[in-house]
Amino acid sequence: MFGVDVGGTFTDVVAFRDGKLEVTKVPSFPEDPQRSVVEGARRLGVAGSPLFNHASTKGLNAVLTRRLPKVGFLTTDGHRDMLDGGRAWRPFDGQLNPRWRRSFGDANRPIVPRYLRRGIRERMRADGTVLLPFDAAQARAELETLRDCHIEGLAICLINSYANDAHERELAALAREVLGDLPISVSSVISPRAREFGRASTTVIDVVMKLLYGDYAHKLDAGLRGLGFTGDLNFADCTASLLPWRDALEAPFKILFAGPAAGTASCRRLGEAIGEPQLICCDVGGTSTDVSLILRGESFTNDSFEIEHDLVISALSTEVSSVGAGGGSLVAVSDSGDITVGPASAGAVPGPACYGRGGTLPTVTDACLLMGILEPRGFAGGQLELDAEASKRAFESLDTPIPLMQRVGYAYQIAINNIAEEVANVAIRHGSDPRDFSLVAYGAAGPMLLGSALDTLNVKRVIVPPHPGLFSALGLLSTDLVFSDSRSQYLLLAPEAAPQIEKIFDDMERKLRAAVGDAAANATIRRSFDGRLLGQTWETPFVDVPEGPVTADTLVAMGTTFHAEYQRRNGLSMPMIPVQGVSYRVQLVLPAAKAEFPRLSDPPPGAKPVPIGTRTLRELSPEPVEASLYAREALPRGACINGPAIIQEALCTTLVGPGQRATVGELGELYIEKSEAA
Amino acid sequence: MSTDRIRDLTPEAFAARYDCDRFVATVLGNRLEYVLDHVCQKLLACAFSPVLRDLYDFAATLTGPPETNYATPVVSKSFMAFTGTMTESVRNTIEEYGPERLRPGDVIIANDPYRIGTHVNDVLFCRPVFFDGKLTTFVTIKAHQLDIGGAVPGGFSATKTSVYENGLVLSPRALVQAGEPVRETWTLFIDNARFAPVLVRDMQTICACLDLGEQLLLSSLERYGRPALLGAMRYVCDADAERMATALARIPDGQWKGEALVDCDGMDATEEFPIRCTITKRGEHIEIDLSGTSRQARTSINGTFLDVKATVGVALKFLFDPDGRFTSGMYRNVDIVIPDGAICSALPPEGVVFAYGESTNAMMLAILQAMASAVGEDAVAGDTGSPNVHTAHGLNPDGSLWLAVGVAGGERGPWGATKAGDADSFSIFYQANSIDTAIEVIEADAPVVILRREYVADSAGPGYNRGGAAVLKDSVFLAPAAHNPIVLRYKQPTGKGVRGGGDGTLGGVWLWQAPDDRDIAQRDTTAGSFRTAIRVAGKLDRVTGLPSLDGEYHWFGQQREWRTAPGATWRYLTNGGGGWGDPLDREAERVKRDVRDGYISIEGARRDYGVVITGDPARDPEHLVIDDAATAWLRAALRGAAPSARP
Repeated sequence: MFGVDVGGTFTDVVAFRDGKLEVTKVPSFPEDPQRSVVEGARRLGVAGSPLFNHASTKGLNAVLTRRLPKVGFLTTDGHRDMLDGGRAWRPFDGQLNPRWRRSFGDANRPIVPRYLRRGIRERMRADGTVLLPFDAAQARAELETLRDCHIEGLAICLINSYANDAHERELAALAREVLGDLPISVSSVISPRAREFGRASTTVIDVVMKLLYGDYAHKLDAGLRGLGFTGDLNFADCTASLLPWRDALEAPFKILFAGPAAGTASCRRLGEAIGEPQLICCDVGGTSTDVSLILRGESFTNDSFEIEHDLVISALSTEVSSVGAGGGSLVAVSDSGDITVGPASAGAVPGPACYGRGGTLPTVTDACLLMGILEPRGFAGGQLELDAEASKRAFESLDTPIPLMQRVGYAYQIAINNIAEEVANVAIRHGSDPRDFSLVAYGAAGPMLLGSALDTLNVKRVIVPPHPGLFSALGLLSTDLVFSDSRSQYLLLAPEAAPQIEKIFDDMERKLRAAVGDAAANATIRRSFDGRLLGQTWETPFVDVPEGPVTADTLVAMGTTFHAEYQRRNGLSMPMIPVQGVSYRVQLVLPAAKAEFPRLSDPPPGAKPVPIGTRTLRELSPEPVEASLYAREALPRGACINGPAIIQEALCTTLVGPGQRATVGELGELYIEKSEAA
Repeated sequence: MSTDRIRDLTPEAFAARYDCDRFVATVLGNRLEYVLDHVCQKLLACAFSPVLRDLYDFAATLTGPPETNYATPVVSKSFMAFTGTMTESVRNTIEEYGPERLRPGDVIIANDPYRIGTHVNDVLFCRPVFFDGKLTTFVTIKAHQLDIGGAVPGGFSATKTSVYENGLVLSPRALVQAGEPVRETWTLFIDNARFAPVLVRDMQTICACLDLGEQLLLSSLERYGRPALLGAMRYVCDADAERMATALARIPDGQWKGEALVDCDGMDATEEFPIRCTITKRGEHIEIDLSGTSRQARTSINGTFLDVKATVGVALKFLFDPDGRFTSGMYRNVDIVIPDGAICSALPPEGVVFAYGESTNAMMLAILQAMASAVGEDAVAGDTGSPNVHTAHGLNPDGSLWLAVGVAGGERGPWGATKAGDADSFSIFYQANSIDTAIEVIEADAPVVILRREYVADSAGPGYNRGGAAVLKDSVFLAPAAHNPIVLRYKQPTGKGVRGGGDGTLGGVWLWQAPDDRDIAQRDTTAGSFRTAIRVAGKLDRVTGLPSLDGEYHWFGQQREWRTAPGATWRYLTNGGGGWGDPLDREAERVKRDVRDGYISIEGARRDYGVVITGDPARDPEHLVIDDAATAWLRAALRGAAPSARP
């Protein structure tokens, strides 16, 4: 089976077959994006594979760069500006800046320009009754204007359509008549949940994704079939759950951003394999570090996420926070002389100064090179030779009286500090203490930055997994197929609401079962709801609903479960306040085949790690120290390496700091701990 | 402060000044900011109240011990109107309580606006942190409580006439002593405030957040020691002072004046309340003198001297250091002169303080206007000017109360333009930041329909960069209701333009009493629609009912409480945002894009920008045509005329 994660620069491909993992990294081709996937499949031989699971940032990148198809947006008359205003709040870091502007606002870079956002005369009330009837003649005129503007797709989101979708259905039918066969996304179908802005932005992104992925998916499927692939092609969603590709194209907003979730899924799987239920997942990439939490073996799922500040996508998503510190983060000097790292990044182009691609500004990777953690040769599997002189020139160009090597050391430490603070933030948000967790360091830059950062991170130990550079792609071989649906209705959890709530659940469940056909026999059904304490404006999501039909007794149980979940998430509960149900969710889960981490073979008796050389490390301690150099693939199971040491593999470098030691585990994973903690 | 810039200090000089090396100062400086982020993160995650969770109506600080004169190196990124009040809030509270009485595990509180700023609902909670037996820092949170007792539920009212209507006034006292709750302080809240169970929960959460801040600080103290931590605090404050001084040195010396208006108070419409400032800048120093500002209002729209300090801080950050941290160091080179008993420095008991934001919004505008010519292209145009809060309530069919606070008024509107480009049209006023409640949530919670909320063409102040557009909001109340509008900024444009940019338009408030749904369908936003409405507030044309600079002023308080029958519609139109730079310099293509998008009409393009466009923006938006020759001729003609004489 195959897992493929398509990033902006590289496409990571992993194959699992006969108990073995094979990996490869192919440069991405943004103009012809399925090419790198097909190339990776060819390299590792896809014929006969039963599964091909795929994640891509193509759609997300198109939104972030606004290289978008032209789409129209229809909403209730008087409300078209919701796509400009969002939820009206500013980022905390920008609030003393009068020049900050909403990234997706009309004054900046709108996703749908105002003239393509048009109002339709009609109005539903919150209880689903009609306040103003649907005005078909007026709607037709607006549709004709959009047609004459040659839109490629249309998003429809009417106020209160989550409570009654009749007008949206009428409008969609009329739109098909006027516009013909072009992609249309309707909010009551895509994301029938309360809160108009999140539903509207999700619906707009959905139609954009239909246009971006429709052709791509067909080409990809054909390309794989051409290589003799006869299995199932699945797309991963924002929780890294899988969907057959044709189903994914029905609501492609769900597949907007799967990579980080796949990384977390991979950590969860690793945790199961090595018996570590408490993990902090830390994926250090070029421009940022993604941090997520696994508590008692489970990651956290959110009901929405933002792809730009306040640009809400109402998709189930694994909670992942991001901080602007990675290998390519720029090092600079503030007005008062502080060395700063990030959030600006050298990106893939020009990249760090040492890449020799025209970058002149120092980055964290340049610091690692000058400190001796990286070596000029053999970087990224030998695809790149690093230029230490360029790194030196870049650091020399900083305007500060601090001596050169001290600048380098500061930059390295500050990058680690920034990541450590985000780790603390994520833990505190869930009422957890980082000291109770092991931290999984992955992503190309993870092991070189975080391996030695035990003290700063304040965690139990650092774990460097097998294949840290492609670890996220591995997560695509560790999840199930999940079909899901949700509905909103504000209902106090009182006995008389039971029939209504049961009907909502039952309707969704029937629809999902019908969609998967015979396979439904093997499916697990999960019901949950999002509720709020009366008087609050936000919800507590994913409260479990007891099995069986919803009755008056069930509602009592739902209330109790709600208060317990509120306690778990927030560290306190308010059982005296009544609970109101807001959204109701059904998930239908079909088990999928999964990869296992291969176990290392038994080491020959007396096997010991043999250094392949030494390297001088600077700025990690007051004086330069000699570190032994090891090849990771040659390390036997159970081997113990005392720091300072460098462990190298094709796509990654792990640093074991002075006073630390690394132990090789059953799966080849490295445990980095303090030496005295034996 | 020595004349050496901090970045040029030798390692020895740096260590001598800050008791740590530069790296430790950087790390600890960041650490302090993160500690407070973590505290706020916890507060936002755990608070019950939407006032905290959606409106961020709180602030937190790490504050130095008395020997540093309560230096404040970090203020949370939350409600900006609190920021500049916090140093004195903590100092006044602790000095009155007595620093020598403090013990580890205490929480000291106060809420009196004349001592700590803002209003009585904002309660300050201070936790002293001891290290090695020495008082080392304070972790503090000032947070808006849902209710604090008094005559009006929740407190929001512009018509209270004495402090005794405000509810509980707390002088500094212990809420927790050495980790033990002080029973009589908690019961004071329980007996005097509404929603006590929720209040108590939120206060417990706040205490838990202070615990967290203390633990995090102690771990840093254990690692780096007290001298380094206090050194890093000084360093962060010095760096802010230096940034402000450097920025001030960059602009020419001079003296500038600014003025803005609070229309009236809640007593009647006979008295206006101008805010006046004279700003003098010499070298690295600046003085903001509010002499000439009107006397205190007769009702609860006053603020205190600490609100002035906060407003001056936000305005100076906007102009001089928009990306820097907010610390007590920013005021080192800033002098503020405040006359006693003014609307912004009211005195008890007559000078009742509650809606302090109206005078500080006007003050913000007065300062931005005064400095517009001094700061060159960094000038900032005026914003919507007020949250225009509308409160409505009535009874549900079962006799219980429904309440809709701040959802049917003009709470969000445009900002002014800057050099960065055109301004957004949907934000809260400059000194606040909040999440707007979704219309679908509002309508599920109260018998109201937000019929429309849309931008108005030609309302934005024209400019090379234009202001944000005014927001028109129609809200239909489906049940009998009583209403309290608070609208105090409709006599003069608040969206004042800068650098030759034009002013945004004036707003207003209207009401239709309607018997049935048919009327709702027919209600539109055409000019004619205003004619039939009851005129609630604003300067409105006698005939058309539209806002007009020389219209007749209507006072929002003409009815003590507005009562409506089912189907009544309230219309709020906000002021438009101000423009930046000469509109005649705006590229014709950008004007055309605005015509296409309905921000500017074809007539407006001609009148305000001198751009001649033909076509049908409503039905054929992609085929608008700029008449280049006519545009060149018209722009030349308009340039010849003085801006004030332009049509």
